[in-house]
Amino acid sequence: MAKWIPLWLHKLSSPPTFYAFAGKVRPWAIALALILGVIALYGALVLAPPDYQQGDDYRIIFIHVPSAWMSLFIYAVMGVSAFIALVWRIKLAEVVAMESAPIGAAFTFITLVTGSLWGERMWGTWWTWDARLTSELVLLFLYLGVIGLYHSFEDRRQGARAAAFLAIIGIINVPIVHFSVQWWNTLHQGSTVNLFGKSHIATDMLWPLLTMMVATKAYYVASLCGRVRTDLLALEGGKDWVRKIAAAEKSR
Amino acid sequence: MNHAPLAPACAALLRRDLTLAWRQRGDIALPVLYALIVSTLFPFALGPDLALLQRIAGGAVLVTVLLAMLLALDAMFRSDIEDGSLEQLMLSPQPLAPMLGMKILAHWLTTALPLIVIAPLLASLLHLPVAVMPVLLLALLLATPLISLLGAVLVALTAGSRRSGMLLALMLLPLCVPVVIFAAGALAAAQQGLPWIAPIAWLGAALALAVVLAPLACAAALRIALDS
Amino acid sequence: MAVMTAAIPATPLLEARALCFHRQDEPVFGPLDFRLDAGELTLIEGDNGSGKTTLMRILTGLLHAEEGELLWRGEPLHRDRCVGDIVFLGHQLGLKSELTPRENLRVAIGLHGHREHTDIDAVLAQVGLAGYGDEPVRRLSAGQKKRAALARLLLIPATLWLLDEPYANLDRTGIELVNRLLAEHIARGGAALVTSHGAVGFHGGEPQRIRMHA
Repeated sequence: MAKWIPLWLHKLSSPPTFYAFAGKVRPWAIALALILGVIALYGALVLAPPDYQQGDDYRIIFIHVPSAWMSLFIYAVMGVSAFIALVWRIKLAEVVAMESAPIGAAFTFITLVTGSLWGERMWGTWWTWDARLTSELVLLFLYLGVIGLYHSFEDRRQGARAAAFLAIIGIINVPIVHFSVQWWNTLHQGSTVNLFGKSHIATDMLWPLLTMMVATKAYYVASLCGRVRTDLLALEGGKDWVRKIAAAEKSR
Repeated sequence: MNHAPLAPACAALLRRDLTLAWRQRGDIALPVLYALIVSTLFPFALGPDLALLQRIAGGAVLVTVLLAMLLALDAMFRSDIEDGSLEQLMLSPQPLAPMLGMKILAHWLTTALPLIVIAPLLASLLHLPVAVMPVLLLALLLATPLISLLGAVLVALTAGSRRSGMLLALMLLPLCVPVVIFAAGALAAAQQGLPWIAPIAWLGAALALAVVLAPLACAAALRIALDS
Repeated sequence: MAVMTAAIPATPLLEARALCFHRQDEPVFGPLDFRLDAGELTLIEGDNGSGKTTLMRILTGLLHAEEGELLWRGEPLHRDRCVGDIVFLGHQLGLKSELTPRENLRVAIGLHGHREHTDIDAVLAQVGLAGYGDEPVRRLSAGQKKRAALARLLLIPATLWLLDEPYANLDRTGIELVNRLLAEHIARGGAALVTSHGAVGFHGGEPQRIRMHA
């Protein structure tokens, strides 16, 4: 394969290059997130027909399911960049991992809240110890642990590296938790709820869901770009390229 | 040049930690006392209903022991960091992972083992059926070293940070969930007269993995946390 | 012929080339160049906050410097290569206060190995702790604790001694003791790097000096 890809990646991982790159990507990502989000919401709330069993209540899945996907997706991104940060000591990877954590935690929180709202309508209780919800709760704790550990260090890079290690432990832990909670549910004969059942999802319900999924991804990219830019400025405060940006800001 | 071989080094470290624990035996009593207090509070909170207490006894003892261990976990490397012993350990010609394994073993012997010894007492306070007692002990014998090993990795990660016991609990919770589920699952199965071997076997498998991997992870975590 | 071989410079024990250290992108010290041969003593001088302790921690391998090179016997310094050959004495002495000096030293021997022709009693007498061997370390004075830590240097086999502020907490005879131990170690073919923020006089020749600035 072409040699320029690793070279390009290497160049991109230098803070000033990435700062500029993220600055260019961010507005496009915001626009994409907004447009697709609006389209998806229109499709979800207006165009999609009500479910023959659940009526309009099911419409919360258009928020709930993409958030749940994002909570896992962001954890995966965090884990991969944590691994890169630890193995190759790349500063950008540390920053990406640490700035992904709050976004992922937010998506996990949204998933839990919407899941709980839906649960109240569907089976009359705000919380059930169903395998998926419980795993999601544990995921939230994992996120909070990473964020907490990161902030408990005086030295930010050291904190980032310690928290990156914790994130990797978490990646191993998530499937174990999911498996054990499932086993636990069968043991205790709890209420097992099937979110989708075996029924096929209709196309006019599916496309808003997929559009929303892309919108949340775009939002994540936009949010991450903004956060990483801020963090890079703070981390590299003493470097020349930051001084230049600061001077340019001042003269404006 | 004659470098110390590994086995005597392990023995020296283990003996040191056990001697230290023995000279400060008051500290060993604290988690035990804590577990005793918590177990006494359960009947007051739930009422002395025999059937109810019997139903919760296994899980309650398990969680109590786990919390008592969490109380002492924070101290695993603290004094070694404060007096520079950990630095000396890291600079010794010994591989760090087995050395930390010895420290974890010493910690388990001095905090978890006393808890396991009084576990039957705690369980009988809550009227756990005598027939389930061996399963409780077996579950604790497998679950407590797992908690010690997993906890050690997390304590090592917090070694360089401003200390916070709450953070440790938050980090440990996700790792504890499977351990608690399987240990309590074995107890529940035994209490209902169902086969309880499977969850115990899972715990054993996890312990075998953790014995090998956790000291390595702990060494890596310490290197990261102290690189300042 | 002997003159010929002596003229070829042997690979130094420890060599630093343009060694820099940054903490959160603030330079702590550097670039720093120095070399240290067996049988040599180097004094690192500098005010508080000039990075002496940081340099020490980098040399032990506990800390990672991202810029510059550090060579141990001609090869990049790595934990596996230098381990056991470097001993470090820092501000924290690494003594367990609940144990006696004798027990502490026994643990050190267990971990680091035993230097030939030394035994605990003789070494304790050498550092002026005869009769204190079985007293818990917490009952010793600060100077006596330092002496107990110095005893460890004598008992374990290591070529390079890294001593961070070894003179702190010591009285005149204590300072004399450190100097004597250093001179003996150098005479044995060992090497030492010593930090200090004050002037120190050595027996037997002027040491190499590295000056560090904040």
